Amino acid sequence: MAGTLGDVFDADGVVWTPISPGLAKVRRLIAALLNTVGVVVFSVLAVLFTPWLWIGSALLVATFAWEWWLIGRQVGAWGYAERADDLMIRHGVMFRALVVVPYGRMQFVDVQAGPIDRLFDVAHVQLHTASAGTDARIPGLNAQEAARLRDRLASRGEARLAGL
Amino acid sequence: MTQPPEPGSSTAPPPPEPGLPAYSGLADGEWHLMHPATPLLRSWQVIAVVLLFVVQSFGNDFIAGDADFEGPHVAGRWLLGGGAVLLLIVLAGVGLAFASWRATRFRVLDEALELHTGILFRQQRRARLDRMQAVDVVQPFLARLLGLARLTVEVAGGKESNVALSFLREDDARVLRNHLLASAAGVRYDGPEAPEAPERSTLEVPVGRLILSLLVSGPAIGFVGGVLVLAGISLWIGHPGPLAGSFAPLLGAAGMLWTRFSNGFGFRIADSPDGLRLRYGLLEQRTQTVPPGRVQAVRLSQGLLWRQLGWWTVHVNIAGYGGDDNDSESGSTLLPVGPKVEAVGVLALVLPDLGVRPGENPWDVVDAGLTGAGPAANFLTAPRRSRWVDPISWGRSGVRVTDQAVLIRSGRIYRHLDIVPHARTQSLGLTQGPLQRRLGLASFTMHSTAGPVSPTASHLDQAEASELIAVQSIRAEQARKASGPERWMERSGPQASGHLQQPGEPT
Repeated sequence: MAGTLGDVFDADGVVWTPISPGLAKVRRLIAALLNTVGVVVFSVLAVLFTPWLWIGSALLVATFAWEWWLIGRQVGAWGYAERADDLMIRHGVMFRALVVVPYGRMQFVDVQAGPIDRLFDVAHVQLHTASAGTDARIPGLNAQEAARLRDRLASRGEARLAGL
Repeated sequence: MTQPPEPGSSTAPPPPEPGLPAYSGLADGEWHLMHPATPLLRSWQVIAVVLLFVVQSFGNDFIAGDADFEGPHVAGRWLLGGGAVLLLIVLAGVGLAFASWRATRFRVLDEALELHTGILFRQQRRARLDRMQAVDVVQPFLARLLGLARLTVEVAGGKESNVALSFLREDDARVLRNHLLASAAGVRYDGPEAPEAPERSTLEVPVGRLILSLLVSGPAIGFVGGVLVLAGISLWIGHPGPLAGSFAPLLGAAGMLWTRFSNGFGFRIADSPDGLRLRYGLLEQRTQTVPPGRVQAVRLSQGLLWRQLGWWTVHVNIAGYGGDDNDSESGSTLLPVGPKVEAVGVLALVLPDLGVRPGENPWDVVDAGLTGAGPAANFLTAPRRSRWVDPISWGRSGVRVTDQAVLIRSGRIYRHLDIVPHARTQSLGLTQGPLQRRLGLASFTMHSTAGPVSPTASHLDQAEASELIAVQSIRAEQARKASGPERWMERSGPQASGHLQQPGEPT
């Protein structure tokens, strides 16, 4: 897992935790639902008006295949690491990003889960600092893991409490 | 709840509790109302609009009535009815403002400031004084005429995260500000009033320089150029359409210039043990106090037009100001315009010790950051291959890390130097797009609180950027542990007096 993203986004001695594969299922399901709606609409219109509109349906199916593959890559690229003093999060395949958030700078932690997320036992954790620029999001954790991470971050933040 | 005494009445001062310093005035821990003139100041806009409307419509009606005498009774009734409705609107406005004034009360505790507002939807807000980011005394034009002022305590909570006491008597506001600053600093004082911290090393912006700086700024050039071009076109086609049609954008540019002028008018910055003191404003006068350690990031910038004049402007990020209403620069300007020496002097007020290596002149480092390019003064510069993604500024964008702060310079045409103290680092980021990946580059970002400064070092060598983020997270951690207490007067050592050390003057 650690080697796939190259050395730049990989610090020495950091063990990256992958996020839950449930997130891929959630995103694929949403993509499937949206594409199905589109395909149905195009198919009905094709039957009613002109067979040229089958091209639209075919394109949507092709898009879905591409999304399927992309979601797998994107979810595989997300990772986080709890270090002694900070939390590291990395994500992205084409546009890669790495964020380092010190525990002492954390203002609050959000845990969110939508209806489809809950079907697959997935929750999203987001850390907030005083900066709006901090994009410290960990999507797709198991609900227990999310709760554990939230409590752990909160306690670590409290231990290293700093002002601004 | 007992009826709070009015701030103006001096009939029965509360007896001082034994064992505590005798705080008089508003800072006695009791509930207070705002100044009784507040409802008028709050609702004067409504009154003015209605009056304007009345004058205008009555005028029209009289003109119309002169020409048409067929139904005077009907017209009279209409006038009466309209007048009654307008009177009702005015009364409702004033009544509402009065009720809101009655419902607004505040009290000053040892640790916090509490404000209760609202009639139907009540709000109770409590701001911890040790989390105070800045204190402003603001005097809008009308309030200034009446000798009133608004006291605003900024806390770091994003948008609208302040406690605004409007309006108090000007002297009361000032005394209360000093008390709040003393409490937040952890200072106990004797006597009835908190002493005002003495100011030092004052710097003023002359009006002439301000006007000249606005004349050679982008909006002014755009305004004049736009007027000339459009007037030319209008003359050419013999129709005033183009000039009249673009009235709104021209007015916008003029408004921008006016805002900058009125906000820079009489600008004055001083240093005091309570932090930075800023004072400015033409019609609306503001006095800001930013306690030490509250500045999150500094940006010195210079547009192309100011280069010949050697002028710079200084902005800062302060938590609490950033998310504010209109423009992100309101309240965040430390120097509207000034020569390099003054800009660096202001930087020295914010960051007295730049933490350069022994034997190195801080002035050289800052100078290299302001105007330099290439690896001078140990700047880590974007490599030559980054010219493919940044053909203009590649030699200039760079980073220098000192013991105290990170200096990030960027922009060859519009020059910037961003400085973030290690202790104020929120979080760090590293990003890499597909092009950068092919070239082996990565961009390094320091996330700061909302405000005009957003420090990013673009297109560094990826190995160097990776090392930078690793080292920087450790530095920030150490700086946080070593940083002083929130109550800035409780720290020990010589810097408690706020000793100002200039980072080297030009020789």
